[in-house]
Amino acid sequence: MALDAPLMIFIAGLAIASAGGLKASRTDGEEGTKGMIDSGLVFSVIGLMSSGWTYAIHNSLLDSGESSMCASEGLVQCGSVIGDPEWNNLFGIPWGITGLLSFSLLFFLFLSLRMDMHAKWAESFTSYSLLAGLAGVPFVAFLIFVELTQVEGAPHICPFCTVAHLSLIGFLVAAHALRGRKQSGMWA
Amino acid sequence: MAAPKGRDDDVRLMAALVTFGVTSMILMAVMLLAPVVKVGPSEGELAPDFSAQAYSGGEWEDFRLSDLFNKSWAPGGDGDWIVVQYIDTDCPYCWSEGEMMSQLHSQWNQEVTFVTVVVELGIQGHDSSREEVEAFRDKTPYDGCITNSNCADRPGNPHSWIYIDDLNTRTSGDWELPGTPFAALLQPDGIVAWNPQQSGNHPEGEEMEGALQRLVGGT
Repeated sequence: MALDAPLMIFIAGLAIASAGGLKASRTDGEEGTKGMIDSGLVFSVIGLMSSGWTYAIHNSLLDSGESSMCASEGLVQCGSVIGDPEWNNLFGIPWGITGLLSFSLLFFLFLSLRMDMHAKWAESFTSYSLLAGLAGVPFVAFLIFVELTQVEGAPHICPFCTVAHLSLIGFLVAAHALRGRKQSGMWA
Repeated sequence: MAAPKGRDDDVRLMAALVTFGVTSMILMAVMLLAPVVKVGPSEGELAPDFSAQAYSGGEWEDFRLSDLFNKSWAPGGDGDWIVVQYIDTDCPYCWSEGEMMSQLHSQWNQEVTFVTVVVELGIQGHDSSREEVEAFRDKTPYDGCITNSNCADRPGNPHSWIYIDDLNTRTSGDWELPGTPFAALLQPDGIVAWNPQQSGNHPEGEEMEGALQRLVGGT
């Protein structure tokens, strides 16, 4: 089915990022640090893409009342979650846009680190990355709560939203590991 | 051994540019896949959707505005137009408008679905409840409409269309509610066709009845 292909790509991306992060955590020195940054970068790219996808679903639901990009019935679906007028936005801004902007910030922080991991600001950027990732956790918790209890016909699970949530968690783990490396002198 | 030194140039500007490029590409792909739909109360925009509890004479039930939309509607085609009216049961102008709404409904109910959204404006003495909303709609005895009148005395007939509980004024922001009463006419596909706030787009002095005659016609 066409609608499954993007989900499979996103899940594959999450698996690759997780495997990369796991391998990097077992590797000492600069190589391990680079691997961990790469893992976080892949998580943030998957977050960007899944957020964009949910925004596209949001637009198509508004336009036609339905979307071919995600199922609209059953437990695992997007229609009742992204299509719910009460919960599908943050102060009028669709969650997909919020996700795009948030993952852009995370991507920028890790890309900067990847481009110059020995810069003077590298230590502060690892802290900013961790703080920015942590700032997203309450939103993820809130959105899961909304999916499971608040939307029409709850509980529902929006798979593309879940990919974005997992991307944030994965990024957060990478950011935490990087900060640990920096503080323990294992950075390079 | 000395610690590795960073690059001489600051890479953060380049990282910001790359980030901007990646985000822009994703946004452009989204626009190609599903263009942005302009949502708002202005004419030509998709009416802001809402879900709330609705009363139509029996139990309060779930209601969602967009369930009334016929997305496949084309101009000239079949489909019910929609009047969305905002009132406050303690607003004297809304009280008076009850009669005009009765008349409009009796004249246009074959072509138009009427929806009245009841809000509670933040004005001293404006204190509404579901009981008051029911009494205002049904014209049944209840002291409290327009602050201290009996709802049974409201001008016009009992209203037979849907009344929505938005006493916490949750939808008023999306609808840019200028005050009450306020009523807009939507095409069957949910696009706002007539908003009294945009009088420059209408024949001079046109009210809801004129808009219905001009846009819906047929009656």
